[in-house]
Amino acid sequence: MQEAILVEDLRVRYRSKKGKLVDAVQGLSFRVEPGEVVGFLGPNGAGKSSTLKALMGFVAPTSGTCEVFGLPAGSLEAKKRIGYLPEVAMYYPYLTPIETLVLYGELQGLRGRNLKEEAFQLLEVVGLRGSERKLNKNLSKGMLQRVGIAQSLLGKPDLLILDEVTSGLDPVGRKELRLLLKERQREGATLFFSSHELAEVDMLCDRILLINKGRMVEEREMAPLKDGLRNYSVTFTGPIPMHDLTQDMETLPDGSIQARFSDKQKLLSALNRVNESDGKLLDVVSREGSLEEYFIQTIEAA
Amino acid sequence: MKVTVYKALARGVLLESLRRKDLWVVAILGFLILVGASALGFFGVQGLQVFVKDLAVTVLGAFSTIVAVLTSTRMLPEEIKQRTLYPLLSRPISRLDLLVGKLLGAIVVTWMSFLILAALTALALAGFQVAFEPIMLQYMIAKMMGLGLVCALGLTFSVYMTPSAAATSALIFTFGSTIIVRALTSGYESATPAMQVVFKLLNAILPQFTLFDLGSRAANVGWSPVPLWVMGFLLGYWVLYTGGLLAISWARFQKKAI
Repeated sequence: MQEAILVEDLRVRYRSKKGKLVDAVQGLSFRVEPGEVVGFLGPNGAGKSSTLKALMGFVAPTSGTCEVFGLPAGSLEAKKRIGYLPEVAMYYPYLTPIETLVLYGELQGLRGRNLKEEAFQLLEVVGLRGSERKLNKNLSKGMLQRVGIAQSLLGKPDLLILDEVTSGLDPVGRKELRLLLKERQREGATLFFSSHELAEVDMLCDRILLINKGRMVEEREMAPLKDGLRNYSVTFTGPIPMHDLTQDMETLPDGSIQARFSDKQKLLSALNRVNESDGKLLDVVSREGSLEEYFIQTIEAA
Repeated sequence: MKVTVYKALARGVLLESLRRKDLWVVAILGFLILVGASALGFFGVQGLQVFVKDLAVTVLGAFSTIVAVLTSTRMLPEEIKQRTLYPLLSRPISRLDLLVGKLLGAIVVTWMSFLILAALTALALAGFQVAFEPIMLQYMIAKMMGLGLVCALGLTFSVYMTPSAAATSALIFTFGSTIIVRALTSGYESATPAMQVVFKLLNAILPQFTLFDLGSRAANVGWSPVPLWVMGFLLGYWVLYTGGLLAISWARFQKKAI
């Protein structure tokens, strides 16, 4: 099957305002399959936005390949299949949300009553019904972001490219957005988004791409990554040897011992030892690992 | 398909301009023309029809040119500054489509301003019992073509320069057109053969805004309309130069990283 996104050895170099040449993207390669939800992560200045801009044809790659559904990135045919949300959502201040959506819809090739119906429906979905006739300049940052999300969904695109998708949204808005994006995925859309909100990435993504300084640092499936990050603790009493299983042990004020494990097999061995000995098992806790810590450690190591 | 795209883009420019109250400024200026004309009447210059008409077409031309320059030079830089260009260009439209749509929007806004001012000027002139002659209609048509050309020039400058530099350059070019042409013509005789070639080239290449100004002819009472072939020539010149300027804009804008 044709990849939704194919990036091979992409390099983007541009001249900064001071006239200095900057290598924003340096030989980046990755693929996104149709129907996948892929998070594109990296610290500020890692090259995420430059990569997304290359995918949209806003900047010409210095070298390398950039394709969307087998079509050259930035071509009109490719853009027909993409819904794009820019990093900082700004829309014409003197237009209303409904006029904004109708404008973009017409540019997308949508027409007449169907377009208006879809525009109203999308404003309802993103929670802007009732504000559709207010001028954009009178909307809050979060409401503007919702206008942006609605415009990116116009025409039910096959691929959604979303740059800092949760920016400006409150927790309720984030949850609504998550549900909306999951619904679009169920309908067959591919989602490729950058975000600094690791909780969103955690809840939405099938896979993450981690980049730094324009280069790929790590490409991981979410499920095994989360399993790997999970850690466990066992609290028990009695002299049970655990030092060969973990060094991370602590004697608590009540005299019990807490041993912590990152490996599930070692946890099971520890539990067996407690059962087979005279000791008493007091507590077993399984904790989700911190994606943030993983992110920081991986970037620092890179 | 393209027509809908251009229409949508132009409508966006017009709506923004209307709500930003740009056209209100034009209406206020027009009102000032009316007040000025009434004042002239008060001081007893009735009968000086040529003077009043000349004043009216000069003011009309100046104000509408300023509107054309300001509208056309700030459109694209504002799109880039406000980042509204990203969602626009993420749609299946080319950068040339965007330029054409924006230019059409600027032309519509300018023409609307011109027509509002012209209507108010006609009202003021009616107060002096000045009849609306066919030459006035020709003046308006030619002026509107000229304003379209000013918009194309403004848009072109805005692609290559900062907004303020683009506005200044466009104003110098349009208002200084007569001086530039006069300088080229008068300097031609005394120039060296090589410079004469340069002068000829410049004269041929630079847009001649004065061609579209039938103001002096319109100001004189009883002057006959210009032959239709002249209007046809102006139309051809306008289309050719507007197309040329659009091509120059596109040459830069298509490669511009945004």
